[in-house]
Amino acid sequence: MTRNKLYSLLLIACLAGFIYLFYNIHTLQSQTFRFCIIKNVTAYPCPSCGTTRAVTLLLNGRILESLLLNPFGIIVAMIMTIFPMWILIDFFLKKETFYFWYKKVEGTIRKPWLASILIVLVLLNWIWNIYKHL
Amino acid sequence: MESQKVDMFMMTNAKFFEGHHLNAIRERLLSLDDSKWGLVQTLQFKDPTTSIIVSLLGGGLGIDRFMIGDTGMGVGKLLTCGGLGIWTIIDWFLIMGATREKNMEIFQNSLY
Repeated sequence: MTRNKLYSLLLIACLAGFIYLFYNIHTLQSQTFRFCIIKNVTAYPCPSCGTTRAVTLLLNGRILESLLLNPFGIIVAMIMTIFPMWILIDFFLKKETFYFWYKKVEGTIRKPWLASILIVLVLLNWIWNIYKHL
Repeated sequence: MESQKVDMFMMTNAKFFEGHHLNAIRERLLSLDDSKWGLVQTLQFKDPTTSIIVSLLGGGLGIDRFMIGDTGMGVGKLLTCGGLGIWTIIDWFLIMGATREKNMEIFQNSLY
């Protein structure tokens, strides 16, 4: 993937995320409707179910509750704040620091010992989600 | 490299690449030295058919993206419930092409 493709893709994804977040905060209908295919088909939550609610709680300053609802919320919130800024700085300074960092992290995550730890963490989070009836 | 060997490679591996890659691959293989034949034969490519099956079953968790080596996209898909389910559906159509592009990257990384 080229630098420009990655940057535009991430910017669009973050923008869509922000739009969805604000839509979610300003409507009550979203409390009953869920986009998640896994939740809709099997009635069991997926590992990332509740992320939107966790981010909303985080925006209200309730950090502990957000962590207890779904730890993914903090990760997503950090990604959505840091990545767009980093990309824009890169874009205006005509540098490629984010691109190189992304490639490096991709390589690191793929190492078997780290990958297995992360997979176990995601599975544990999934079990916890099912237990919490998200 | 002998054209007979190159044709054999093309016949067995054409399904792993996009149509517009094939010419470049052929040219590249023909210009290679015969001693590289062993390396060419041991290259492992991802099957697009496998990735579409994985995408249909585990697309919501980003497993398809992890499988073809797009770890960053995979993490993005996992954290967002498969992009609110929309990205999952888009990827059912994109994943075969993405796999072929990844195979071309594998080819380029080892032989250019």
